[in-house]
Amino acid sequence: MESITIVLNGVEVSGNPGTTILDLARESGVYIPTLCHDPNLASTGACRLCLVEDERSGALLASCVAPISAGMTINTNSVKVLEHRKKILKLMLASHPDTCMVCNKGNRCQLRKLATEMGIGLIEYQKIPQLDIIEEVNPFIERDLSKCILCGKCIRADQELVVEGAIDYINRGTQAKPATLNDVPLEKAECTFCGACVAICPTGAIMEKESAYTGTATNVVTTICPYCGCGCSISLGIKDGKVVHAQPAPDSPINRGTLCVRGSYGYDFIHSPERLKTPLIKVNGELQEASWEEALSLIANEIRRIKKEHGADALAVFGSTKCTNEENYLLQKFARGVLGTNNIDNGSRLYSSASRIGLGASIGYAGTTGSIDALERSKAIMVIGANPEISAPIVAYAIKRAARYKGAELCVIDPRWTPLAQFARYWLQPKVGTDIALLNGMAKVIIDEKKYDVEFVTRMTDNFTQWAKSLEKYTPAYVEHVTGIPRNEIQAAARMLAGAEEASIIYGNGITQHATGTDAVIAIANLAMLTGNLGRHGGIFALQRENNAHGACDMGTLPGFLPGYKSIENAQHRKKYEERWGIQIPSQTGLTAVEMMEAALSGKVKGIFITGENVIASFPQPSKVKKALQNLEFLVISDMFLTETARMANVILPAASFAEKEGTFTNFEGRVQRLHKAIEPCGESLPDSEIIMRIAAKLESPMPYTSSQQVMEEIEEMVPFYHYLAYRDTEPIEADIEGNEINAPSNRRLYNGLFPSGFGRFSAVEYTPPTDVATEKYPFTLLVGSVLFNFGTGSRSSRSKRLKQFRPEALLEMNNNDAKRLGVKDGDKIKITSTQGELTTTAKLDAKLQPGLLFMPISFPEPPAYELFDTTLYHQAKAPALKSCAVKVERITDDG
Amino acid sequence: MTVKTKKKSKVDLKQIEKIIAGYRGKRWALIPLVQEIQEKAGFIPPEVIPSIAGALNLFPSQVQAVITFYAQLYTKPRGRNIVRVCRGTACHVRGGNSILKLTKQHLGIEEGQTSEDMEYTLETVACIGVCALAPNLMINKDTYGNLNPKKVARIFGRGKKE
Repeated sequence: MESITIVLNGVEVSGNPGTTILDLARESGVYIPTLCHDPNLASTGACRLCLVEDERSGALLASCVAPISAGMTINTNSVKVLEHRKKILKLMLASHPDTCMVCNKGNRCQLRKLATEMGIGLIEYQKIPQLDIIEEVNPFIERDLSKCILCGKCIRADQELVVEGAIDYINRGTQAKPATLNDVPLEKAECTFCGACVAICPTGAIMEKESAYTGTATNVVTTICPYCGCGCSISLGIKDGKVVHAQPAPDSPINRGTLCVRGSYGYDFIHSPERLKTPLIKVNGELQEASWEEALSLIANEIRRIKKEHGADALAVFGSTKCTNEENYLLQKFARGVLGTNNIDNGSRLYSSASRIGLGASIGYAGTTGSIDALERSKAIMVIGANPEISAPIVAYAIKRAARYKGAELCVIDPRWTPLAQFARYWLQPKVGTDIALLNGMAKVIIDEKKYDVEFVTRMTDNFTQWAKSLEKYTPAYVEHVTGIPRNEIQAAARMLAGAEEASIIYGNGITQHATGTDAVIAIANLAMLTGNLGRHGGIFALQRENNAHGACDMGTLPGFLPGYKSIENAQHRKKYEERWGIQIPSQTGLTAVEMMEAALSGKVKGIFITGENVIASFPQPSKVKKALQNLEFLVISDMFLTETARMANVILPAASFAEKEGTFTNFEGRVQRLHKAIEPCGESLPDSEIIMRIAAKLESPMPYTSSQQVMEEIEEMVPFYHYLAYRDTEPIEADIEGNEINAPSNRRLYNGLFPSGFGRFSAVEYTPPTDVATEKYPFTLLVGSVLFNFGTGSRSSRSKRLKQFRPEALLEMNNNDAKRLGVKDGDKIKITSTQGELTTTAKLDAKLQPGLLFMPISFPEPPAYELFDTTLYHQAKAPALKSCAVKVERITDDG
Repeated sequence: MTVKTKKKSKVDLKQIEKIIAGYRGKRWALIPLVQEIQEKAGFIPPEVIPSIAGALNLFPSQVQAVITFYAQLYTKPRGRNIVRVCRGTACHVRGGNSILKLTKQHLGIEEGQTSEDMEYTLETVACIGVCALAPNLMINKDTYGNLNPKKVARIFGRGKKE
């Protein structure tokens, strides 16, 4: 492609054909004002402020939509241009209210900024105010459309980036405005309150609510969102030591101008009055404030005592999927080196261990194999057992963009309707627990029709023939019988996946939390290898529930692995770390999360240190967990809040929030990103890293680090795929994907089709009738899942003032006909019973739900859905099945 | 706001759904589709917007945007006869305003409204191109010129058109 040269303000510059004048000008450092332009959006040339003059013809061109052409002589600041620009801006201001003095958009307002730049004070045109009511019922977004300049950015962000379609223009001419369907308020429309429109609105028309008159932020710090595994960059606006707003950081390769409601509005838990400000010590059953010195001495004494009386393995440590890599690294070093036990695990055991083990066995790498970009480029996307709209909204946006605008075909496999089903070419609704049969059946269709990637399979994988043989019985007829999906749909979905140049498979807790989760993950990996969608393009995307679940595991807060998944039972691996740390590492695999609780109950474990995890809410059988914790001699919790779990502790240490510390998080893609401290820790709270080091020092085994940078340097040195991820202060740390040498260890996304072990391995996995679905005695299958406005155990989201207001009640969703049969009406009180327990809740009828299925959100303290689940540990993952269980339902009559 | 209900009950939603089904997957066909619906049903009932959007892979808000943009597309039921009173310059100087006022009185409705019996919808237009006969109005495709109060009374006193 030959580049085109133009003259720009008297200087010759060149760019590729198709480049707009605006882009070329910005590249060349020439400023052109804009209002409706945004690099993440398609340009529409709506505002006309970017006018420039082509001096040859005298024509005025909207530079954001005018491509460069040979011989152009562009003047961005000619008298004519300036005159027109001023006129246009004045016309906008003529219908804009004079409320700048009290407008909370403040210095972020681009309209005001441009007026200042152009020196516009007096507007000589007649003012025609566009009065409109201020919409402010919802707790997140305030819309005052009298300030709207109709740039269309909110609409385009909604449609092009978030692909929600909640708003578009309504009417025409002077009546035009952005509106929802039937012009209802946002909370009554499709809007998910992701905040993309707020961040992009150049005026005060769309703003954050509840921050009125706080003034403009004086400082902006870009850091990483602490909620889900996407790892979005957020810019926190700071004023007087407080975070006053959060917006998507403009340059992030992950979220590109978008966030979800949690990222945009959920940060305010950091200023919750419930934050713990000092250490607390339980004296005679009462929690009392204490100094750090007192708390740490007590902890050190108790640890020493328990270790002396019962041995090191009577102690256990619980790492956090919400803490940084550095903190988790320190914590496992603390457990292994200072305490001398491998009893260390983290909360992701409950949702992603199946993924780690299944993928590890198949492809030799325990995580997502592609980037979000690769996902968006895919021509076929299969989403199975995941509802990314809730669990990983940014992934959902990428899927929707691919499906709606980039010609990707989408197949959604979920027994329940999810918003993605609207974008799907195929929505398959298998019976719960039959995923393996379906996946095997699809693989068989692809093999039988010879549609698999022969070259990839021959060159990159082994055990194909044997595996293919194991699929014999998974004929379309058999799979149709097992899953309940018509065979032609199974075949069509298989062909879609096999036929696409690049295909991606996304899965989440709907796969990993079933009893057969590990096998299902292997079946997914088989399918990805069969279609050659690993390494080179597309890939497997394993969604993570929490922001640093990936990192916590990478850092070795696992009972059987040192950092970098080095088996603890391998003497050589231990030696490497022993030499580096100068300490002995115990050689036996420790207890997993659920086993720790069992051991606490049986008295084998006497003392537990938990960082940032609310185990009572996140584990099955909360009442049993409570009993287990009560049974301990000593429990130390480090947390931001007095959670249900923290109340059980002997000592509670106040932990700093994500905004109050430095470090790195690893997102679900495996991208290591830098966290930046935005404000000072609340009260006397400290980052977990500091807490761990202080305890270690009290135990006379000090850790020699003075900053998280030093810890990261050691991680880089010791953990294979964190090599070369220098702790840089600038851009998000990311391994250079395409340019890297194939074998470079930093090439952790297997981009060039190379598996760490040299080959991917096909393993036969068999469908077995599910154990976690309806039985004769318990005729309903209860599915559980999360909701958008609540996150994890809710320890943070329920303390976010705004999220809390929109948190729905935990209702039991039920199919209309089932309800009719049982005589249940919407809003009736319901008793649910499983083999493990019972609870009462309220029924909500849902015609979209399959008959025989029930759905209930998890992680609500009331009613605690996990009471219904049992703690049996399944497969190598040693995780309980927490996705579904068999229940019966009874209506509770008014008289009881 | 008058009488949506009477006409609405007559709208055959099933028939509309059938029309929509014929356009499934054709993203380009939004305008022909809504025109066809309007032709059959007289207007585009807003409650079918989500189903139009679903069939064409558009957002309901996008469909609404297009429908509300074009003055020729209606989301409210319309009368069997459309009365258009001219507000062009020529009509204006020759008393078009009074003609409009009188028409409103006769029909008992305001501009943009439809009479309760669904007989008339009253609109104004910028010019109908027969300024020589000003002031003018149109009923459906027939033009009535050189109007005066008597004539207006006669037109509407006669009841129906023709």
